[in-house]
Amino acid sequence: MFEFLIHVSTMACLFGLLALSLNLQVGFAGLVNFGHIALFGCGTYGAAIAFANQWGPLAGLLLGGAAAALLALAFARLGRNLGADYWGIATLSIAEILRTFATNEQWLTGGAQGIHGLPMLFGSLPTPWGPLATLALCAVLLAACWALCQRLVNGRYGLALKLLREEPQLASSLGYDLAALRRTPLVISGLIAAVAGFLFAHYATFVGPDQLYSAETFLIWSMLIVGGLGNNLGAVAGAFLMQFLLAYVPFVKDALGLPSEFVAAMRLTLVGGGLLAFLLWRTQGLIPERIGGRHA
Amino acid sequence: MVQFLSDVLIRTVDLALIAVGLSCVYSLIRFPNIALVQYAVAGSFLALLLQGAGLPLPVAGLLACLLVGGLAVLLNVTVFERLLASGSAIAMVGSLAVTMILSAVFLVVFGPDSRRFDLDSHPVIRVLDARLTVHQLTAVGLTAGAVIVLTLLLFRTTLGRSMRATATNRVLAAATGIDARLITNSVVFLSGVLAALGGIGLALKGEMNIQLGMDVLLPVFAAAILGGLGNALGAVAGAVIIATAETLVTNVNLGPLVGEPLLFLPASYATAMSFLILVAALLVRPHGLFVSEVKRV
Repeated sequence: MFEFLIHVSTMACLFGLLALSLNLQVGFAGLVNFGHIALFGCGTYGAAIAFANQWGPLAGLLLGGAAAALLALAFARLGRNLGADYWGIATLSIAEILRTFATNEQWLTGGAQGIHGLPMLFGSLPTPWGPLATLALCAVLLAACWALCQRLVNGRYGLALKLLREEPQLASSLGYDLAALRRTPLVISGLIAAVAGFLFAHYATFVGPDQLYSAETFLIWSMLIVGGLGNNLGAVAGAFLMQFLLAYVPFVKDALGLPSEFVAAMRLTLVGGGLLAFLLWRTQGLIPERIGGRHA
Repeated sequence: MVQFLSDVLIRTVDLALIAVGLSCVYSLIRFPNIALVQYAVAGSFLALLLQGAGLPLPVAGLLACLLVGGLAVLLNVTVFERLLASGSAIAMVGSLAVTMILSAVFLVVFGPDSRRFDLDSHPVIRVLDARLTVHQLTAVGLTAGAVIVLTLLLFRTTLGRSMRATATNRVLAAATGIDARLITNSVVFLSGVLAALGGIGLALKGEMNIQLGMDVLLPVFAAAILGGLGNALGAVAGAVIIATAETLVTNVNLGPLVGEPLLFLPASYATAMSFLILVAALLVRPHGLFVSEVKRV
């Protein structure tokens, strides 16, 4: 049970990183990204491809980061003249194209079977300490990214992002370069997502295209909406809440003796129902965005 | 060649009705409603249920379409109208949430396995050089019929004129005495019926399962966006373009390009191709191919 708790906490930290990075795009800059999981996938496949070619983990991290930055730039280029809803569909399409590519290009990605056997982080430590060290590393990184995101959004730069979200025409008339203003948060959040992907790849020791279904992006979305769009603490809280709720669904199934379809249906209901309930009745989420706030 | 054209036609029919429904409803309610693909699945499952209850398939199908139309109106009034007050992006996320909840309902009620309509099996017939089944031809007929009826409705009736007026300028339409709410709900009903009919057409040609909606989501959106969301007949053209591209990708021998005798792309690249076309088209024409309207920022 203790080990399970460590596992769920580690996953919650990783999803916390993803939620923080998506929040930077959606919550602050108003960029409705439906293909966020692809940026995560850059991180996982960076790690996996580096491992398969025996380049070492550092190369994997760099490879993943570089791929995520490039993909983020591509997203930003597409966003230059698209309406928010069109851009959402376009990012979803790009994520699906990349997943199809990962499924079919066996020589590079191992195809549908993926790449197995990546080394665990701290794999040399004895059982309770290895996973605990991984959890500690994830938690430290989450805290660091939280601090980074807080710095980014609390100063003048954060105000510029919110202006881009609320009144893009006004931002443009005040002399802000909208394209650049979209590019930076996308690249930064792409890098954070890639780091999360890299950690996940070395934690799960397996990378495959099944990890990149768009349903994962929608899960991160529900964490954001439930926790509170535009609030970093809310994003992390939403990630932990959803992750723990979902982790305990199988126990409910066993306790009540329900068929296994129940788990999938319950996950869908929790994710979709959480999204819908908060959108309808508490749009600001559990921890609302601070309006006004400190001006640097 | 005839076989190629018939493949394109069949794929067009798969996508056209749902894309037309999406496009129609977008012209009045300005957000892309993702849940529409689940209305298609709901249509085919309801038709299956009603057929199982002893109704002949045409009656079951018609009843299913009307029920899904009602469901669409119900969801629009209770959910989407309220969400749209917070913006089109929020409404789209909301429609995604509805999609997931409907998936959960289908999963619990119908289970994860594929189902089929109870149909007589007919031998494959040859039209010119192409091999077709009767059920494929039925689906083609249904789609063509629905598109013709819709066109007549849009351009020959008072209801259609009111729809187009409300879509173009809601305030002006209201000033001339058009009840915008009634028109909107009629269009939502119509979109539900079209999507359900599209879903039944899909299920006629093969199997239905709970993945069907997500499988057609992006191709349908690609067709509707290429056609310029809000332009109902543009969506048919969009479906033709997507179907042609998908069929080309899987049928053309790429071998000579790389110096090998035979090289075909895996079939799963067919859908990736339609997404690629979508992305490329959006780069050049941010609001689709058949729309002249310009939105800033």
